[in-house]
Amino acid sequence: MGLLLRQLRNTLLGLFVLAAAVLLVFGPRRSTRPPAGRVVVTYWEKWTGTEGAQMQEIVDEFNNTVGREKGIYVQYLSVSNVDRKTLVATAAGVPPDVAGLWDAQIAQFAAMDALEPLDEMAKACGITSDYYKPVYWKACTYEGRLWGLISTPWAVALHYNKRIFQEKAEAIRKAGGDPSRPPRTIEELDRYAEALDERDEMGRLKVAGYLPLEPGWFMVHTPFWFGASIYDEHSQRFTLTDQRVIQAFQWLRSYSERLGPKSMTDFRAGAGGFSGTLNPFLAGTLVMEQQGPWMANYIEEQRPSMNRWKMFKDLKRNEKLAAERKLSVEERRANYEWGAAPFPPSDPAYAGATFAGFDVLVIPAGSKHKKEAFEFIAYVNRQEVMEKICSLHCKNSCLTKVSDEFRNHHPNPYIEVFENLVSSPNARAIPPCPIWPEVVDEMNSTIQNIYLLNATTEEALREAQERLQQKLEKFKERQAQRRRALADARR
Amino acid sequence: MRAAELRQLGKGMAFISPWLIGFIVFTLLPVAMSLYYSFTDFALLKGPLPVGLDNYRELMWEPHPRGRFGDPHFWNSLKNTFYYAAMALPAGMLVSLGLALLLNVRLFGQAVYRTIIFLPSLVPAVASAMLWMWLFNSKLGLINAALMSLGVKDPPGWLSDPRWAMPALAFMSLWGVGHTVVIYLAGLQDVPTELYEAAEIDGAGRWRRLWHVTLPMISPVIFFNLIMAIIGTLQVFAVPMIMTGGGPARATQFYTMYLYDNAFSYLKMGYASAMAWIQLLIILALTAVAFWSSRHWVHYQGK
Amino acid sequence: MNGAQSKQAVGDAPREAPLRRPSLLRRIWSAEHWMVHLALLCISVGFLMPFVWMLLTSVKTIEQAMKFPPEIVPRPFVPENYVTVLTHPKMHFLLFARNTLIIAVLSVLGTTLSSSLVAYGFARIKFRGRGVLFAIMLATMMIPFPVTMVSLFRIFRWLGDNGLGQWLGTYKPLWVPAWFGSAFNIFLLRQFFMTIPEELSEAARIDGCSEFGIYWRIILPLSRPALAVVALFTFMWAWNDFLGPLVYIQDQDQYTLSLGLQTFQSMHGGTEYHLLMAASVLVILPVIVLFFLTQKTFIQGIATTGMKG
Repeated sequence: MGLLLRQLRNTLLGLFVLAAAVLLVFGPRRSTRPPAGRVVVTYWEKWTGTEGAQMQEIVDEFNNTVGREKGIYVQYLSVSNVDRKTLVATAAGVPPDVAGLWDAQIAQFAAMDALEPLDEMAKACGITSDYYKPVYWKACTYEGRLWGLISTPWAVALHYNKRIFQEKAEAIRKAGGDPSRPPRTIEELDRYAEALDERDEMGRLKVAGYLPLEPGWFMVHTPFWFGASIYDEHSQRFTLTDQRVIQAFQWLRSYSERLGPKSMTDFRAGAGGFSGTLNPFLAGTLVMEQQGPWMANYIEEQRPSMNRWKMFKDLKRNEKLAAERKLSVEERRANYEWGAAPFPPSDPAYAGATFAGFDVLVIPAGSKHKKEAFEFIAYVNRQEVMEKICSLHCKNSCLTKVSDEFRNHHPNPYIEVFENLVSSPNARAIPPCPIWPEVVDEMNSTIQNIYLLNATTEEALREAQERLQQKLEKFKERQAQRRRALADARR
Repeated sequence: MRAAELRQLGKGMAFISPWLIGFIVFTLLPVAMSLYYSFTDFALLKGPLPVGLDNYRELMWEPHPRGRFGDPHFWNSLKNTFYYAAMALPAGMLVSLGLALLLNVRLFGQAVYRTIIFLPSLVPAVASAMLWMWLFNSKLGLINAALMSLGVKDPPGWLSDPRWAMPALAFMSLWGVGHTVVIYLAGLQDVPTELYEAAEIDGAGRWRRLWHVTLPMISPVIFFNLIMAIIGTLQVFAVPMIMTGGGPARATQFYTMYLYDNAFSYLKMGYASAMAWIQLLIILALTAVAFWSSRHWVHYQGK
Repeated sequence: MNGAQSKQAVGDAPREAPLRRPSLLRRIWSAEHWMVHLALLCISVGFLMPFVWMLLTSVKTIEQAMKFPPEIVPRPFVPENYVTVLTHPKMHFLLFARNTLIIAVLSVLGTTLSSSLVAYGFARIKFRGRGVLFAIMLATMMIPFPVTMVSLFRIFRWLGDNGLGQWLGTYKPLWVPAWFGSAFNIFLLRQFFMTIPEELSEAARIDGCSEFGIYWRIILPLSRPALAVVALFTFMWAWNDFLGPLVYIQDQDQYTLSLGLQTFQSMHGGTEYHLLMAASVLVILPVIVLFFLTQKTFIQGIATTGMKG
């Protein structure tokens, strides 16, 4: 018996080793093989799934047209944590030729000399500051130079569930609101939110009218809707102790004070995440939220019935889009259970406030194929291509010129809301702060402290202000030291 | 040296040359470099800029308003690491020793028990972290479900509650004691049976045998495990990074995590090197204390 | 360092210290026996529970997984999750497995060869300064990785910039150091080698065998259990390694399984736990299978290396 077991064990072991050998020899290697004879441009991008496939479409189009002409092949690679990976790879001397980062990286990477400036190449292509809407162009520059060009821009607006507004019309009216329209000021938003909250038998939050934590991606920019920002680039100072900034985070905290910090985190732990059928906005457990124009796409994928409230119930996406072409904008919107509107500001003077963010294409320093990389970036920035990818990703456009086709037949019937927002003077983009990752980390823990009620808003912000300002000063001091050392060495 | 000695030296060096070369290139040189870097401002994209003691100053004694000194995140992460160590180290040592003693008793199914205890230590940190993240989920996790079914009305938020996150991590570390248990088992098996028999003859009961025979005999193993545990606990990184990312509100930001962020997120490599050296010195200090105390309680069998 | 009285010869099965020697029947029925059983049973259940939960979650749909109170056994259950994981666009499981395998195999080969070579030097050759160097080697185990992390990065970059081969962006930083010996394994093997009787070496020397010949033809074959332990430990460590790949691998096509598993952690919140658990099961499986298949060698090897410091 012992012998039999041992033989069995040895056979299994042999099989195991064999499987490993097979995997080694015949296993998969890189994802794709580029065609011979072309310059290979590696392109690291954050998008996966549908969004990734859509960008891949654009990449394929490039490879088959301009790429074929000029002997360039763009290799698209979907990378998680693409910002950090690109930074480390650049530091390692093996960066990708093109990287698809977020707006937040422009200032930081440029300040670190991790990017190639694009001014000359852009000018040669005819891409100058009037090509983009002002808020976007400014955010692509740092210290007067151009460091990246946008792949897809977006902005933040209030998304609300019209169906639930109707169902809870009574409660909304009692709170002094009008169920046929979204709230227009922050104060109104709070009243709507409270009226729409629902709890279960155990007293836990079942449906939330509004939760600043959900999705919680733009919390650091909350002051925008209060007329301020956390950083002032002209004086290069943080403004966390500005009255309006304190007011903004106090507003954020008011939700925790009203609902209890634990109820909010419990709600989030139990809710599904963003990309899933259990996304609270889709599931109806969150009535209002701060989101971007891509929601139309996500809803279309995860809960298409919300885009087919009254008609087209059996139509697939493309058929529905075709059918919608015959409708006016209002008629289209009436068929959507949800709506988008400017996120209410604290004061009408700040009307049109939004956070204008974007995904950006950059060329990391040390890239081996800068010219070819820029060919691709310029291609993406052609109006037709830009409008195509923005349409596919369901985002607005950053260009000053917007075609009627884009405006009127965009997959998101509310795209006009976003276009208006990013053209408004109160639209702000990410503050050009070179130590932004530290700012984010610091603000995240500060905001956590605020909504966990660990400290008062003022205290928490004051501490963050001191720390961040000091870090910035040190950063600038070091930069100055380096410049002096470089100048000395040259003499 | 005489010729024969020289020959022996040559032979010895030849054999240990792989380690020696590796030591110089992959250990000595980097350690020396990191000491140098700790006195510079270094972002890898440009050359290092000497700044003297500035990194250490910024970390530890730079004065700030309201009587604070140094980098609050540095102190916080240090505190967190020690807090974790204070829980995980004693718990880990007791549990692993206790388990080893239990598993040393000859009984039916011993091999099965041993395997089960050892299994979790084979799990990669990433998988383990995600599994326990799921178990600790405050709304849907098994742990809270079990607690609620036992009547606990409002179970803690675990990883999203700053007060419970660290204890949760310390508890979770007990799942991986398998490695240590195995080492204890090996040590227990080396205890000469004659000593037990002699003790029995002297009329010692089970507990006295444990205290006077077993423990002293395996004290070198305990010592070894203690050193390893100190070194390991002070370097914890992967699991909390995946489970909490340092949150909530930096309640679980361990020392190595903050170091890593400084090095690879902010590219402040000089600063990170300074942190690394401080960590090294702390480990050396604690190890030295352990060594010094070992004189009093570690007994080596005759050499 | 070995107990003078109960020295164990190479290859002996490990013994235990029995508490008493009463009759078998009396042993089975003694109260302490049952208490130990009970304690171990409870503890084992506790240790196994996370595994069980992982397996159960891995065959649920996301709705079933997100239910509260949690549904213990999913009905119907969804083994398709495993297929989804293997064909998932974000995690190229087989590619990552192959990558990890490459690193692991190279590490195992390198560690076993070099560590045994070095251990032989420390154990079987008396030379001046041996003790000091051995102590230094042990001390290196105390150096935390962060101390060398940044410098190594810089060194590897320098090698690439100066034409000594591109290191960053390849797997070299992960397996090449293994070919220079690993302190822990050198220590293990040295302890083991010291238990081999000196007479064997003497006899071989008299026969005119070179030192390397003794190492290769006599010591190594006798050390199979210990070498197996080193190989297994190294394989498992390389398979599970996270920090190394995290620092040195940026290109997603080169990810190892540990890194790949992390990509399941969605940045947008809302991790797909059912898929994550399935992926975790797949990642853990090879190591556990390997362990079961080599258990005896493993335990034997550990016992005979006598890790008593």
